[in-house]
Order: sequence, then C-alpha cells, then structure tokens
Amino acid sequence: MTNTLHRKGSVEELKGDYVIFTSIAKDYKPGSAPKIHEFLRICNKYGPVNIGSSKLGSVLQDDVDFNDLVIKLKDGSTSAAVFTDVDTLQKVVSDLVEADLGISINISGLLEGAHECCGKSGIQRHSLEQSLGFWGAKDRLPEREVIEITTLCGHGMVSFNLIRKMMEYVRMRRLTPKKAATIMGKCCECAVFNTDRAERILEKVLEQGEG
Amino acid sequence: MDIDKNRCVGCGNCHAICTMEAISLDLDGKSVVNQDECVECSTCHRVLRDEGYAPALVGSIRSILSAFSLQFMAEVDVCPTNALVPPELEYPRSLRAEFSDPTVVHAGTGVGGRGTEEIKTNEVTGRLRTGEAGIVIELGRPGIGAHFRDVEKVATSLIHLDPHFEANNPVTQLMENPRTGKMKEEVLGEKVLSAIIEIKTTLDKIPDYLSTLESVQAEIDTVFAVGVGSKCNPDSSVPHQKWVEDAGYTLTPNGKTNLGLGRPLFQEKGQ
Repeated sequence: MTNTLHRKGSVEELKGDYVIFTSIAKDYKPGSAPKIHEFLRICNKYGPVNIGSSKLGSVLQDDVDFNDLVIKLKDGSTSAAVFTDVDTLQKVVSDLVEADLGISINISGLLEGAHECCGKSGIQRHSLEQSLGFWGAKDRLPEREVIEITTLCGHGMVSFNLIRKMMEYVRMRRLTPKKAATIMGKCCECAVFNTDRAERILEKVLEQGEG
Repeated sequence: MDIDKNRCVGCGNCHAICTMEAISLDLDGKSVVNQDECVECSTCHRVLRDEGYAPALVGSIRSILSAFSLQFMAEVDVCPTNALVPPELEYPRSLRAEFSDPTVVHAGTGVGGRGTEEIKTNEVTGRLRTGEAGIVIELGRPGIGAHFRDVEKVATSLIHLDPHFEANNPVTQLMENPRTGKMKEEVLGEKVLSAIIEIKTTLDKIPDYLSTLESVQAEIDTVFAVGVGSKCNPDSSVPHQKWVEDAGYTLTPNGKTNLGLGRPLFQEKGQ
C-alpha cells in the first residue's frame, strides 16, 4: 500500500484525508487474523467513510458486507479505514494503542496530524516516509482535479477517463457528486479511496460549471 | 483481459473504466482490448457488475430504440451481458497481473499490492535502521503505466551509487543481476500499472540519488513517483528531511507514519 504516499492536495484538503492501515510483516502473518479483525472493529466503531481489506474489497462495493468481510479475513490481510478529521483519527489511535494488538499500523496523511495522534495517545512515531512528487514525463499527466482523485487510490484503479466521465455526468446532473464518488470508490480494492474528498472535488467541478 | 464478442453489446462502459485506455470499439461495434496496452489489472471485470442479460435481448431493445432515434443509457458500473473474460496468464505476461492487480499476491515477496513492505513494518523487520534511508521509485504512477525497460533504465542509472536493491522486493527479484540493475530479458517488454524500485542507502547519499533521478527523468517515457523514508530519531524528529531539503528538494506535508505498534520490536545492536 505504498500508494497512499502520493495523495495530492492542498494542506487544507489533506486535513480531511487520513488513512489508517495494517501491514503484517511477512514472517509474522500466521495467527494475525484475529488482530486484524479487532483493528477493523475498532476503526468501524468511529464511522470511517471507507473500510475494507485488499483481498476482499471495500464496503463501497456492491457485494461486500462489513461483517462478512471481517469473517472472511485471513492471516496477513492488509486492511484499511479512511477518516476525514484528525480528532476522530486520534480516538481510533488511542483505542488501538490500548488494544495492544502487536501488529504494524500506519497512518497515511498529514504528518503533523499523525504526530499529534501519537502524542495524545502516549506513543512515539517509529518511521516515516514522504513523497517528493511526480517526476519524468509529467506532460503526460492529466489536469489537477483528475490527479487529486486518481491518487486517492494509489494502485491506480480509478482511471483518468472514468474520473472525467464522472465529472461530465455530475455536470449533466445525471449523477450526484456523492453517487459519482461512490462509483469511483468501487474501483479501489484496498478501501483507501476517500469518497468524502472525491465528493468535495466533484462539487467544485459542478460549481465551476455553473460559474 | 479478453472480451467475448458473442456476448459484448458495445455499451462502452469498460472503455472508461480501463486504467490504461486499452479498450475501444472495434469495427464490428463490439469492444476490443489492445493486448499490448492491457496490464491485466482486472478492474473492468471486478467493478462492472454482471447484469446477466442475454446479448440478443439487449441487441433487440437497442435496435428498437434506435428505430425511434432513442438511446438506452445503461448505468455506468455494469457490464450488461457478462462479456469480460479474465484469461489464464502465463509467464511473463502473468507479471502484468502481479504488478497491476492489487488482489494478486507477489509470489516472491508474499505481499499484495505492489509487493513491498518498506517502512510499513519497520519496527518489526528493522529494514531501515539508524543512519539509513529508504528510497522508493514507483514507475508508471500515477495512471500512465510502465514497461520493465523503463524500470531497467532507471535502475541502471543508479549503479554508480552502488545501490542496495531491497531483496524482498518484486522488482529486484526480476533483475538478472542486482549489481547491474539489468532486468531479465524476457520481462523487458511487459507493461504494468506501476512497479517500485526499492533501495536502501545511507542518509548522506540521498542527494546523490535524487540528482541522478533528476538526470534520468528526461530519458523515461513515463512518470515516476519518488519517496524517501527513515527511522525516526529518539526525539521523534525525521532524519531524512534535512538531507532532502538541504539538497534543494521539497517533501510533501503528508506521508506515511509507522506508529511502532508491531511486535516483537526489532532491536538494533547497541540500543
């Protein structure tokens, strides 16, 4: 899930975009399923806008039910939840620290926000990774709004053309921003797509169209 | 991905959802996949719900509507006739799915997604230790895709820095020789959604790596995303930030934070 490293947006926009996820080291996968269950249960208690697991999909998908997903989880599954404010994230982190699951947990989002969560939960961040942006043939990249949405699923499952189509459908009022955001979110298998942020971006597109 | 032309009704929903713009309308009015461009991510097959309609029924309804100059606009996230068929993939084409479909686990690393652990489990693995930095170069990202020949071009450009390519990384495992950065000949023409070169080095070498990447970027016909990571100092400060910023590069305000909750904790010698 390196993907979440390169989410694009202004600091203000990123304040509403935090992903928390598990990652189980290869040698420690056996026996980890109950811990991942507990991770998801704690996250779900706080109303994430997206939640799921990379091999089973996200709750945005038509055939995925949260309870079924938890039951089907296997050892080592990478699981994630998306929150839209740091205060809620902090409560999640505090609960996870208290649960002492013993599995690796990462936050992807504003470093200051994650640092604040660690401080308030009485832990110290261990390691950190940052992006230096996109290099190479950047002339092949699309417009800013498309990049901001496509990077919400870092595996690149939300195509540029689908995003443009959703923008067009929102402008035509064939879809609401919320419905369009959910359709795009279905493409993201790891449940890290922030539908709330995508909806905000589509609302701006709609406003610009009206302007 | 394959499309069963006996079932496809040419609705075009799979065209927009395709991550590589590899699906288009053929002369016969049915959709067709450009197999050179398809990276076997299976997004079309996973996301488009099968409505289970008989192709003849859909075709008849369309013909009738067309006679009255009307058009039926299907929902955008369906394949009305279940025409998308995931093929059995053989090596080396199977690498496309391994590097592009997050539900496929990399055989060599046992990790899904792009197959890397990086700092995500660092408190347990000790992959990056005090004084060390991790550099990740994800070719093809976002949304353009990359051939392994692009990967090789970047990897070989770094050889003068004597890089330590991470052994538990699927790109390293496809190298003919990690000392040269050369990829296996048979994989060079394979296209994937993205592939991550992962290097471990020392903090003081970060500027050299970044300036080399800056030089090679003009030779690459795709984009790549660069990331740098390190183990935090005991006071929570971040060692790589000074080295990157002093070299004149800008780090994003967001990133990944490993909370250090995994157990057993890796203990460095002397700590």
